[in-house]
Amino acid sequence: MIELVDLTKKFKHNKAVKKLNMFIEKGEIVGLLGPNGAGKSTAISMMSSLAEPTSGDVRLNNKSILKNPAPLRKIVGMVPQEIALYDDLTAEENMRFFGRVYRLKGDALKRKIDEVLDQIGLSDRRKQVVSKFSGGMKRRLNIGVAMLHEPELLIMDEPAVGIDPQSRNYILETVKHLNEERKMTVLYTSHYMEEVEFLCDRIYIMDQGNLIASGTKEDIKQILSAEKTISIKASRLNDHFIELLQNTPTINRVAAGDKEVTITVPKEINMFPKLISLAEESKLELSSVDAKTPTLEDVFLHLTGRALRD
Amino acid sequence: MRGILLSKLKLFIRNPFVFIIFMVMSLGFALIIGGSGSMATIQVPVYAADDSVRDSAIEDNLTGIDGFTFNWMSEEDMMTEVENGSAELGAILHEDNFQIIVGVDSPNAGTVEQMIQRAYAKEQQKNQIYEAARASDNLNSEDVMDELEASMELPVLSITADYFGGSEESELDGTFQTLFGFTLFFVIYTIGYNVLSILTDKKNGIWDRMILSPVRKWEMYVANLIYSFFEGYVQVLVIFLVFRYIVGVDFNGKFTETLLLLVPYVFAIVALSILLTGIVKNVQQFNALLPIVSVSMAMIGGAFWPLEIVESEFLLALSKINPLTYGMEVLNGVAVYGYPLEELLYPISILILMGVVFMGIGIHLMERRHV
Repeated sequence: MIELVDLTKKFKHNKAVKKLNMFIEKGEIVGLLGPNGAGKSTAISMMSSLAEPTSGDVRLNNKSILKNPAPLRKIVGMVPQEIALYDDLTAEENMRFFGRVYRLKGDALKRKIDEVLDQIGLSDRRKQVVSKFSGGMKRRLNIGVAMLHEPELLIMDEPAVGIDPQSRNYILETVKHLNEERKMTVLYTSHYMEEVEFLCDRIYIMDQGNLIASGTKEDIKQILSAEKTISIKASRLNDHFIELLQNTPTINRVAAGDKEVTITVPKEINMFPKLISLAEESKLELSSVDAKTPTLEDVFLHLTGRALRD
Repeated sequence: MRGILLSKLKLFIRNPFVFIIFMVMSLGFALIIGGSGSMATIQVPVYAADDSVRDSAIEDNLTGIDGFTFNWMSEEDMMTEVENGSAELGAILHEDNFQIIVGVDSPNAGTVEQMIQRAYAKEQQKNQIYEAARASDNLNSEDVMDELEASMELPVLSITADYFGGSEESELDGTFQTLFGFTLFFVIYTIGYNVLSILTDKKNGIWDRMILSPVRKWEMYVANLIYSFFEGYVQVLVIFLVFRYIVGVDFNGKFTETLLLLVPYVFAIVALSILLTGIVKNVQQFNALLPIVSVSMAMIGGAFWPLEIVESEFLLALSKINPLTYGMEVLNGVAVYGYPLEELLYPISILILMGVVFMGIGIHLMERRHV
């Protein structure tokens, strides 16, 4: 459906996106994952024709949209990271405004507003001004506005950032429902691994403007197929224990927290006896030692050496 | 475009405070400073030390002098006014002499001294004629005085004043200066903060949403500009209507013309606001820049005081690139001097030209910075 080819965006002092290649098929939910500043927002701005790339191309059904973005704009709905709503208008008035902007009129507009408000669970708040909404309600309305004209492709830029878990679940369920019931194609950007893991069929991972991995969830987790992660918990971790772990040649990576340290080791090695001896040596009282299936978070750590939310 | 205009109107109805605040401030300043007439005349408190002074014609001679108002009061009140700065100077008038009490050293002291001297001289001259008539047996002194009064009414030389371009005689009125000045000054804020909504819409992502919609970019700009123009114009209209129908200022019979000729100024200010919005990067910068620009414009454009009293060549040169200068010129031209339209074509053309140039540069800057 839509394809980015060697897409690059240079600003004065940095390259925000470097030769990005990705595609989205009709009816898919694709996740674009990366920490803040990875270049996700710049990439989707170019994809949605809001920003001009320095080089590369954006193709919709094999036709470039750089010179003529009209065909793309007809089918795209955009949920920006900001709350792109008028605070002093009610939910319904905001809907009416954006509906009119999309040339909806009269009964058709009224019907659509009722339908979308129902979908995002704000029917009973339709007469309330947006400034009085909670963060989660604003986010839901922000999505609702983008759905008014029934776009084929919905581009969502961190739509659930900074809201309570209940509202986040509601948003994720709504997106899933839109995809399943209406066959809406969705590009979902986030720096929350669990959102992408829950929603998306395929995932692209970006860091510092580069695409560092892509594929289905399983494909990406396969990156760590030769390794396993072990989570070690203790009532009080000490530096000596961490140091011993770091100096153990069979351990590939060590990520230490306050009460938990995660290590990555080759799959075939049994680390338990060694870990217990290291704990004894450093006088550490272990609470638990668990071998885990690798998560996308672990993959990101593996690829960049940093946690996703660093 | 209709949708954008309707939403703007709804936002205005829900939050009209900026509009109301600037309108009330315009009205307040124009009424307090201009309506009282205090700016037009210099107040001189006067104390008559001898009763004969007030019985004589000196009081009459000091009445109706352009630019000065002599207020008669007790010595104590007069001294208090001078001491606390309510008046620059005061005067104590005796039968044969007078004293000037100077509070603030200014050229007005000399002018007031000359006026009082002239009043005494006139009184003395009149007394001498009266005495001479009384000394002559052939003349009835009362008749002589009547004849003298009549002659004074019909001076030997009659002076008529004519005005370039205008057929009607008009008088420079402090009310117009402050009314026009403060109205044109405060409307810059109302329009500026309306045009600023383009920047906030861009920052909030609303502009991007509209770009992706079937609405064309020119429609987005035009809708915003029409609305800013409309709100600015309505503010000026309400202020002028208040002055016309409540305060009773008749705009020298040119009320409709005054309202019509406001259009180029409001257009130029909308364009100037676009230029400022294009220059700044965020709302904070705009909030800092707008007062600097508007106050400077008001000071060198003749909004706070008549441009005629500005002597600096540099400031006068700057006033030539200031839309407020031409706005004041148009309004004063039509309402104070009664100029015909042909006389006002020059400032009107400059305002339109400024509007087109500012708007072109402003939109270019905005488009270069944002998509």
